[in-house]
Amino acid sequence: MARALEVAGLSGGEPFRLAAARVVAVRGEEVFAHADGVLDVDDVERVHDMRVATRRLRAALEIFAPCFPRSLHREVLRDVKRLADALGERRDPDVQIQALERFAAEATAGAEVRPAVETLTAQLRDEQARGNATLAAALEEARRTHLRGRLHALNQAAGVPA
Amino acid sequence: MKARKVKGLDPEMPLADAAERILQVRLDELCGFAPRALDPAQGAAQHDMRIAAKRLRYVLELTAPFLGAYAATATKRARALQGLLGDVHDCDVLLSRVRAAGVRPGLVALEEHVVARRAELFERFVERWRELEREGFRDRLERALVEREAPLPSCPSPG
Repeated sequence: MARALEVAGLSGGEPFRLAAARVVAVRGEEVFAHADGVLDVDDVERVHDMRVATRRLRAALEIFAPCFPRSLHREVLRDVKRLADALGERRDPDVQIQALERFAAEATAGAEVRPAVETLTAQLRDEQARGNATLAAALEEARRTHLRGRLHALNQAAGVPA
Repeated sequence: MKARKVKGLDPEMPLADAAERILQVRLDELCGFAPRALDPAQGAAQHDMRIAAKRLRYVLELTAPFLGAYAATATKRARALQGLLGDVHDCDVLLSRVRAAGVRPGLVALEEHVVARRAELFERFVERWRELEREGFRDRLERALVEREAPLPSCPSPG
């Protein structure tokens, strides 16, 4: 799992709103940096990394909420949550498939669980494909609504003193 | 689980002061789920505690460097707690799927296997929580919240 990028120069004495702008800028760019190849079902780690990055961005938006213009913040947070939900829909089947494969491989499980594992894995592969379509639509929506640009606008607004 | 609102935050206040307020609320939320979450049947409480651990961890990851030393330790503790509860949650999700799959070859054996695994993970979570209590996690983090990283001494100017 990709580690969070350090937000350089963050200090306890700086104003909350300036820290907000810097943290959200870094967390926002991390999300889009992980978007490349995220729809490739043969590389499940990409979707995992983007999901974690989106969670960190969402957390940062929630932590620093008082520093941003309310209306724009509400919209951006809503859209980041939608993206996070789509990533979850795509990622959750991966997690369950990995869990089933671990169970099947464990010595105590025995050959008796194998038919059940195969049946459930097939269901999960179908869900994975549907999740991928949902994620593709969510990524297109984020692009169409300029989510990256709106994040930038949010940071610009936080950087300006009241 | 909706996060509790943090009162008294001001965009102009120092980041460390804002962090102190936020972390106190997040810490209270996390600890508020014990002892209910320590009952193996309380899956919803365990789920909410996992979310609370995650929220605490995300704030600590950003702010621990300029709080008291224990804040860095608390970050690791919160991450480990979240991880364990995440593993328990994964078993719950898989169990729901197994139980909804009807009657098929191997499902009973798989269910028994997942139930046993869940029980083992849950025991680890309870032991981890007890360790945190013995370690004084809550008190120590609360003390760290009001400490501030000491500023580095400035270099004397030449001449």
